[in-house]
Amino acid sequence: MNFASIEMILMITLASGVLAYLIGKLNAKLGSIVTILVSMYVTIAVIYFGYNGELVITTEYLPLVTFKVTNIGLFFASTVTFVFAMVSFFNPFFIDKYKFKALYSMLYIFSLVGILGVFFTDNFMTLFVFFEFTVWSSMFLIPMGKSTKSTTLYFAMSTIGSFALLYAIFLMRSQSGSFDIDQGLAMVSGAKATWTYILLSVAAFAKLGAFPLHLWLPKVLGDAPDPVTAVFSGGLEKLGAFVAVMGLVRLAPVSFNIGAIDMDFARYVIAFIGSITIIIGTLMAIRQDDAKKLLAYSSMSNGGYIIVALTIGNGIAISGALYHVLAHAIASAAAFLAIAAVARKTNTTKMSELGGMIHNMPITYMVYLIAIISMAGIPPMGGFISKWMIFQAVINKGLPIIAIGVFFGSIGSFLYVFRPLAALFLGQQLPEYKHLKEAPFFMVLPMIILSGLIIYTGVLPNYILGKINEIVVDLGATAVTITEYTITGFNGTIHPALISGMFGVGVFVAFLIFITFKKSKKVTLMDTYTAGEFIYTEELLHYSVDFYAPLERLYEKYIHIMEKTYDSIRNKIAEVGHFFKYYFFTNKPEVSVFWIVIIVSLLLWGESLW
Amino acid sequence: MVVNILVGLGVALFGFVLQTAMGGINRKIVARVQKRIGPKWYQEFIDIFKLFSKRSVSHGWIFDFGVIMALGGIIATAMFMPVTANIIAFEGYDNFFIFVYLLAVGMLGMAMSASGSGNPLASIGVMRALTTMLAYEVPFMIVVMTIIKLTGGTSSVSEIAAFQQIAGNNWFIIALPLGGIVAIISLMGMLGKKPFETYIAPAEIASGPMVEYGGKQLGMLFVMHEITVFIEVSLFIHLFLGGAATLGVYLLKYFLVYTALNLISSVYARFKIDQVVVFFYKWPLFMAVTQAIIAIYLGWVI
Repeated sequence: MNFASIEMILMITLASGVLAYLIGKLNAKLGSIVTILVSMYVTIAVIYFGYNGELVITTEYLPLVTFKVTNIGLFFASTVTFVFAMVSFFNPFFIDKYKFKALYSMLYIFSLVGILGVFFTDNFMTLFVFFEFTVWSSMFLIPMGKSTKSTTLYFAMSTIGSFALLYAIFLMRSQSGSFDIDQGLAMVSGAKATWTYILLSVAAFAKLGAFPLHLWLPKVLGDAPDPVTAVFSGGLEKLGAFVAVMGLVRLAPVSFNIGAIDMDFARYVIAFIGSITIIIGTLMAIRQDDAKKLLAYSSMSNGGYIIVALTIGNGIAISGALYHVLAHAIASAAAFLAIAAVARKTNTTKMSELGGMIHNMPITYMVYLIAIISMAGIPPMGGFISKWMIFQAVINKGLPIIAIGVFFGSIGSFLYVFRPLAALFLGQQLPEYKHLKEAPFFMVLPMIILSGLIIYTGVLPNYILGKINEIVVDLGATAVTITEYTITGFNGTIHPALISGMFGVGVFVAFLIFITFKKSKKVTLMDTYTAGEFIYTEELLHYSVDFYAPLERLYEKYIHIMEKTYDSIRNKIAEVGHFFKYYFFTNKPEVSVFWIVIIVSLLLWGESLW
Repeated sequence: MVVNILVGLGVALFGFVLQTAMGGINRKIVARVQKRIGPKWYQEFIDIFKLFSKRSVSHGWIFDFGVIMALGGIIATAMFMPVTANIIAFEGYDNFFIFVYLLAVGMLGMAMSASGSGNPLASIGVMRALTTMLAYEVPFMIVVMTIIKLTGGTSSVSEIAAFQQIAGNNWFIIALPLGGIVAIISLMGMLGKKPFETYIAPAEIASGPMVEYGGKQLGMLFVMHEITVFIEVSLFIHLFLGGAATLGVYLLKYFLVYTALNLISSVYARFKIDQVVVFFYKWPLFMAVTQAIIAIYLGWVI
């Protein structure tokens, strides 16, 4: 028994999944508490043993499975397991809402098992099996929320990704002769390299929810149970980023080089799709009324940033992408948890039905605020660092068309993240929610830890960037120049601690100005300027429905284009099916006679040829 | 370090005094255009000090906190702004993106505070302000991207200014004529000058975000607004007009830019908000991308 062995961690987790099921059968709450203990254990084990270099990769019990600890695997594993651990604190508070309580706890832990397997292996088959294990366990978590329909969609889109991954693995094996990941990626060449590149991109797109495989993301994240949503956005989606690093960075597609920007055509196409993903994600996020769907589309748009950065593929770009994976994982987990905390009290995530929650839940509000500052890429939070690096990469490469998407998404994120802030947390306090209290301590705790980390990644990013530099060197790019406090990109140096410090100074000066002058008189929220109207109901003074209506009107004609495209593809496939059904699988005697005649005459013809 | 912080705060204070004076002078100039006499040039100072001395109302802690965050964020941004080649608090850290994004903290604080007042007109104003931002920022950033690329890859505002002062290099407003036009239009959007004044729209939504404020909160937002204008106009001077070697040149350029914008704005009416978006995504974006392509790929720079 070696407790630092990946196999052991994996098996303990798997066993405790079953244990959680059995305990959950007796007492649902206890079962969900097991999920907290297990995911905390996995996180601590992975981070502690992993970064001390003590993880053991030998296997004693599991057949055919081989493990390997890579810097990138460790980075992803620690990020995702950490999100799982933080979200698991919410499970006991939500478990009563589900139909299959014990199953929920088990599947939650099983998804974690799959994650470990994917990130710590050197074998494509092991990776694929664990990948599917995660997909299947997480798939049954989704229908415990609002609807089962989105599960079908998730399954369909996920299948596309899985098959693409499988074909890519087979293509690589056909050239390298083994399922080894490093060999496979290194030895595939020629046209097969381009096909592998495309297939791995499809797999990554399906998992990240990038255009045109994005339809599942808002539906699943909108309908799934609230903690599962946070896990999806902060954790499971990042599987796509992991595959994307494999495909987009480590493979060199062979098409033709675009001379003006010194970039391969295939890469440019993927970057372009990434940029479209950003724009669609942003535009769709702006018009959502459901806060969870809004954040889901924002996840999609952030996935686009990761794709764009990875296709550019130099040191700064890769660091930016990986830092963005981390920054977005913790920020979106925090934002989803904050919304979940509100939804638990109010039973709705529709912004048009909520208002003034800040007066009931100030801490949740602050958590959400910090999370969205990071998601919008504003200093002093982590999202700024990654977006700054991605901007550098795009500008240095000189890609104005892609830059439109990148800048649009960045400014657009101010719009959509502000909407829940204004409509859900701020504005008038609606009377039906006046009695609500702040979330209980064990829900607030993980949110505060996440917020602390968001601030830490924004103020002192250099320790983590140092770790990311190791990955960047592994991937064959040049490491980013960092000193103790500064980061140097292509276009200059930033000093995140200085920026945060000056922000602190600025706020301090402003605070001094504020307290110097006379104290204000407190008035109620209803005591506002109404241009002479007499309004006594809070709802009428709360601006939350169709927040960005004038902007939405400009593009609302076009929002269903992708659904319509998929519908028409489906209809075309159905038509082809009808055609075959009519001619081959039918009860009509005339058709059967027709085929018998054809076949007999063909046979006779063939006979005569011989 | 302490000296640097004091210099930074000095720049912020300088920006406030300069812009408030310029604002007053410009009120006078615009009044003459409209055949009025206009207020005294120091009227804006009087207004702000009057506001600070008055007792105000507060709509809860977020209402106050947002104002503090707004002014704090803007002061922090101003601290990084170079005035001339020598007057700069943190040399080497005046990255363009810091200005764009640190400015956003202040804006977010103000938006938060305004929405926290519970007045729907304030929320509508914030909505319009953010939508306007979505409109002007993208073309502007594409032009700045072209500039960064042309300078050989520096996004430091003072280095970009220094690059234009080297013999043989034109100011970017001349070197990139299309981009220069885009930048002027975007600057009008940033400053909320007519025709992009939609989010203030006093006659329509009662000054939008500002509707609920009075007393010291309004005073602080006035100070914040003045410093914001200072940052935006300074950015334009450094990026497009070759910066300033001495303080006198800086003051002259500042006065000319700000007055020119005011004169343009004094003859325009207000756009509707969707018109603002459509406008910016039609010509300015097209011009910005054209400029980027011909400057970066073809190397056609005057």
